[in-house]
Amino acid sequence: MDWGWISANRGELISLAGNNLYLALIPVVLGLVISIPLGVLSVRWGWVYPPVLSATSVIYAIPSLALFIFLIPFTGIVTSTRDLTLIIPLTLYTLATLVPNVVDGLRSVPEPVRQSATAMGFGAMRRLARVELPIAVPVVMAGLRVATVASISLVSVGELIGNGGLGFLFTDGEQRDFPTEIYAGIGLIVILALAADALLVLLGWLLTPWRRSDPGASHSTREEAAA
Amino acid sequence: MIRFDHVTKRYPGSAVPAVNALDLEVPDGQTMVLVGPSGCGKTTSLRMINRMIDLTEGKIFVNDQDIQQADPAKLRRGIGYVIQHAGLFPHRTIEDNIGTVPVLIGWGKQKARRRAGELMELVGLDANMARRYPHQLSGGQQQRVGVARALAADPPVLLMDEPFSAVDPIVRAILQDELLRIQAELRKTVVFVTHDVEEAIKVGDRVAVFRPGGTLAQVDPPARLLAEPVDDYVADFLGFDRGIRRLSFFPASTLELDTDPLAPDRITVADARARAKESGQSWFLVIDTERLPRGWLPVAKLDDLPASSTLAEAPVEGGGHSFHSSTDSLRAALDATILSPSGQAAGVDDDGRVVGVTSYDELLAAIHVLTSGDGDTAGGESRSA
Repeated sequence: MDWGWISANRGELISLAGNNLYLALIPVVLGLVISIPLGVLSVRWGWVYPPVLSATSVIYAIPSLALFIFLIPFTGIVTSTRDLTLIIPLTLYTLATLVPNVVDGLRSVPEPVRQSATAMGFGAMRRLARVELPIAVPVVMAGLRVATVASISLVSVGELIGNGGLGFLFTDGEQRDFPTEIYAGIGLIVILALAADALLVLLGWLLTPWRRSDPGASHSTREEAAA
Repeated sequence: MIRFDHVTKRYPGSAVPAVNALDLEVPDGQTMVLVGPSGCGKTTSLRMINRMIDLTEGKIFVNDQDIQQADPAKLRRGIGYVIQHAGLFPHRTIEDNIGTVPVLIGWGKQKARRRAGELMELVGLDANMARRYPHQLSGGQQQRVGVARALAADPPVLLMDEPFSAVDPIVRAILQDELLRIQAELRKTVVFVTHDVEEAIKVGDRVAVFRPGGTLAQVDPPARLLAEPVDDYVADFLGFDRGIRRLSFFPASTLELDTDPLAPDRITVADARARAKESGQSWFLVIDTERLPRGWLPVAKLDDLPASSTLAEAPVEGGGHSFHSSTDSLRAALDATILSPSGQAAGVDDDGRVVGVTSYDELLAAIHVLTSGDGDTAGGESRSA
């Protein structure tokens, strides 16, 4: 381990990490935006779900490099749209995790809750936004964590087409026979993944105040304490 | 007022209608209970009122508005709805759950929360629960929140779909009493579905008994239903002890209470013996200077006691079972009589002081007079069980 090299190339490493994060998170956000309507449709019309699920799984099975190469004629590798060559496949990969989680999350809404929301005069959209999605947050968040970590590590494969964030350190370190660079790449990816995961846990905690049970609660739930 | 006008509901693929040409009127300010075995169409009928289920034929009017002409979401905001498992929003605090409809109709959060506070008081919830979440409450408390939430925007109509059937019997009885208290105050037009006849008779101003196949067997006030079931189906459905249950609708205040068996605990055994000889009592109810009952003393036991001792020193048996002489029913009086060692029961006032005593003979006479009269005299007025 050559710590001097790491410290000397701090700026470059941070910039690569930033690029890696950008290339990883944009697909997760896009994937979520696509998964929510797909999940909603799958829950509302049950027959939609099996084909959607098969499609996302099949896409997930396609090797990333194959998808990159397939997209190069459309989005390029040196053009201004070259990030899309990476972002589009990574977005499609997140669907395999996010769609089932959105579906499970929406299905976790208890039927009496859904019914009472309707009976109180929520329209379908308002019910989705104010009742169903908030209740689905914990399950969706679990999928989001998996998708995010996977996406951060997958970005490095993009280095094979010259745009791979921290993946650069692997190819460069290998060519120069300089292991420190490779270790730095691995270390930074792990740090990014752990940090992103921790932030998502925090976000989930902030979004679900009802799941934080206070210690006094168990005593106050004694049957009809107030009766 | 809610009016069903020849309403039929057919589910696709089912030959038999779930509800068949139903005609029913629920007058303003009354509680109509729909009761019947499962699959009789009572819940379907309830849910057609707020269009949770759309009817196939016929018309339903809520306060003279044909509900088929109304926007479902708007219609529902004007109709309170309480369901079995409360269906509270797990992600919202109690006060925000209660304020749901007020916020939907644009009251603003502050006003909705103030209203939630009022309703929590009305349904008997402690104010410190406002910021809690539903999972931190017991089943009974959640059901109270459900009722508060349904009442939040002050809708004239309240639909209750087996609201208390998921809580234990003790809590259920408490919630039923609370509903009666709230209803006496607010006089909403309530439609209440249950499969429990006992509950129907307790909470209903009128009870609609459904037959399998979605038709009505009988619609009547509970006392009349118990007295005059139209046929064997209704009689069977009401259960074997409907005669006894019917006594719930006759007030105990019609009993003439006897004060002869009352013996103050300060008199001596000698005095008591003399009184027994004179009046022919076989039991005394020993009372203290406050007229609170101490217990029953068999006259035969007096012979074993020193003549100069007072009744305060005499061993007495269970004075616990009594009935309220002005608010309880004949059913409560009969129950107390059965449970008393002497075959007589003490009628007491608000403070538990003994007013007088009734016996099997007196009760039977009173029951005979009341039940051989007409069922109409006992309307929905006295319903203390």
